[in-house]
Amino acid sequence: MLLEWTKPGLSNPLRPICDLRVLKHFIEEARDAEAAMLACKEGRGLPEPVTVPQTKVDFNVWERKNALEQAQEVQSGLWLLNQAIGSLRATVTNTALHSHIDNSLRNIFSIGQVLRSLNIQEYTPPAGGVAGGEETWRVSSASELLQVHVNFLRGKVHLLLSNTPVCHQGSS
Amino acid sequence: MTNDNLTKLLVFCVLFCAQKTSIVHGSQALETKVALLLHVEPENPKCFAEGMSDLTCFWEEDEERAGSADQYSFIYTYQNENSSECAVTALPAAGGKRLYFCRLSRTQLFVPLDIRVFRDDLLIHNRSLFIEVVFLLDPPSNLTLTSTGTQGQLKASWLPPSLKYMGDSMMYEVSYAMAGSHIGKVEEVQASSELILRGLQSGTKYKVRIRAKLDGISYSGYWSAWTDPVLMETIPGDLDPLIVSLSLIISLVLTLLSLIVLMSHRRFLLKKIWPIIPTPESKFQGLFKVYVFVSLEYETRYEEWLGHSTGGLWLRPAYFYSEEFPAPLEVLSEVSLGPALPSSALPPKASEALGEEEDEDKKLKRVDSALMEGWRETPQEHWLMDQLQSIHQHPAPRTQSSLLESHDAYVTLNSQNHSGEEPLDDILEETLPLQVLFASGRTSSESRSDLGSLQQSSGSGRLSSQSSFEYPNHTWPPKGSGYTYMAVADSGVSMDYSPMSSSKIDDIGKGVIYTNEYKNEIPAHRRPIGTPIHFAF
Repeated sequence: MLLEWTKPGLSNPLRPICDLRVLKHFIEEARDAEAAMLACKEGRGLPEPVTVPQTKVDFNVWERKNALEQAQEVQSGLWLLNQAIGSLRATVTNTALHSHIDNSLRNIFSIGQVLRSLNIQEYTPPAGGVAGGEETWRVSSASELLQVHVNFLRGKVHLLLSNTPVCHQGSS
Repeated sequence: MTNDNLTKLLVFCVLFCAQKTSIVHGSQALETKVALLLHVEPENPKCFAEGMSDLTCFWEEDEERAGSADQYSFIYTYQNENSSECAVTALPAAGGKRLYFCRLSRTQLFVPLDIRVFRDDLLIHNRSLFIEVVFLLDPPSNLTLTSTGTQGQLKASWLPPSLKYMGDSMMYEVSYAMAGSHIGKVEEVQASSELILRGLQSGTKYKVRIRAKLDGISYSGYWSAWTDPVLMETIPGDLDPLIVSLSLIISLVLTLLSLIVLMSHRRFLLKKIWPIIPTPESKFQGLFKVYVFVSLEYETRYEEWLGHSTGGLWLRPAYFYSEEFPAPLEVLSEVSLGPALPSSALPPKASEALGEEEDEDKKLKRVDSALMEGWRETPQEHWLMDQLQSIHQHPAPRTQSSLLESHDAYVTLNSQNHSGEEPLDDILEETLPLQVLFASGRTSSESRSDLGSLQQSSGSGRLSSQSSFEYPNHTWPPKGSGYTYMAVADSGVSMDYSPMSSSKIDDIGKGVIYTNEYKNEIPAHRRPIGTPIHFAF
């Protein structure tokens, strides 16, 4: 019980971050990273394909999913992206690209904090280490990976954050 | 039975008509959008999304080169998916063109879409796009203008398009202009459904229209078509307080200026508004004489007379009043200053006055015996004559004396122009100057000094340096030494009296010499008939 009390971090409730300009900022930085990668001619290819989330959103399908499913989809996708971009950093030698990649990783972590502030459940990866499923596919180029990153943030993450019941309690 | 059939038929007709209307309306909207995109989008095929899960693509071809719709194939591929085909339809367009359409009813956003158009297995168009960035919405609906109650303001409100998740990306452009004018202003508003237009003219009709666009990081698109313009008049303007105050100040300043001008020219204006009755002495030269009247008694009735005279300053025709209130006046002497004229040609006015005063003739003779005895005869008369003649420029003819034969109190009209004298200091510019006439019982030196002093003491400057003295043939008996004299100039409108001088100060015991300058047109008529005019000395 005492350990429960002293558990760091998790017991502190965070103030909900409802301002979507935060996400907008992350998206723009992800776009910069993608543009930088496209401009760079070397190190485009990944040593091995990485699993990335599906970014497509069919509104009819999306709206049929409940909040929990949506949250899981977003959280797992972010985790996958985190893994993929982390592995990308090792293969890239360009220092400018390094800063972009580091930025992207920081932003993914920040989005995770935002979701936590909105009481969205965190994703626990499966024990196997590699998540598969319908909502994933594999990419083999760095630019594709960063593009997926951008589209994922613009799509599903944005949809999830803009429709959180926590943020709409006062207005709706 | 027939009633039911008829009802069904009616319902069917209504539905069909409604559907047709909506189709027509929809096609009109489609036409507008097509026209818009043809203008804006350079790539082919031109695609736009109207809602959350649809996509319409089209391309244009010239009529002569166009084939039928089945010659074309529209292949689209989402990322990481297999290709699909869309059915192509053809529609005629203006300007000898043909439009080919493809419409997808289920779309995926946030994922790249590859489009390829083939015509008979020949690739004619190739495009990759994201559907969430090619939104072309319908114009906003229910645009209404209301008055805010404030000057020069209008509130525009509208219904935003009913799209989920896109409220924060919605952007509007409000265009407003005065009705009839082509020059207007544009205002942008983000994620709101109303806008207050400011800086408008009061009491003017304004034409407002609006269009919408998605412009966010997630969703984006083209500007929609403009709504139909809505007209509204702003509330009429109140008087700008600044303008009101400025105009008040200006009018005040103008009023003051006009007042100042009026006051500075009041003499002239009064002459125009209330002109002095012209005296006819210019026409009848020599008929008008100045008479010297001698006080008969020391009486305080002079005070009364003075009291009457101070009643008013306005000119009144003296002849008129003298008719009402003839007064006993003793004419000491008569002075004619103008050129010789037949004595019979008295002006009718004067003759009237004379006529009425004939009954007073006897009263005129009533003289204080004491005064009369003091009258010195010839030496005084001669002296006086000498004095007056010495300063007279025009020797007066002595033939005018016949005018006084009737012993009446004449209404005297002074025909002398006070040349060289200071102008009258009030509005009676036409009042003729007073003649300096006096007979004095004192020594010549005193008389001279008196004359001089008399001249000086006449504040109004009516004393003329020119005078002629003439005794009528019918002279008054000598009065005595106690006479005080004053000169009276009667212009017919007013009678001016010079300050008096006393010939015999010793005799002046009862009365007081009034040396004030005064005009006497009125007192004569105010006195009751029979009351003698007394000049107290």
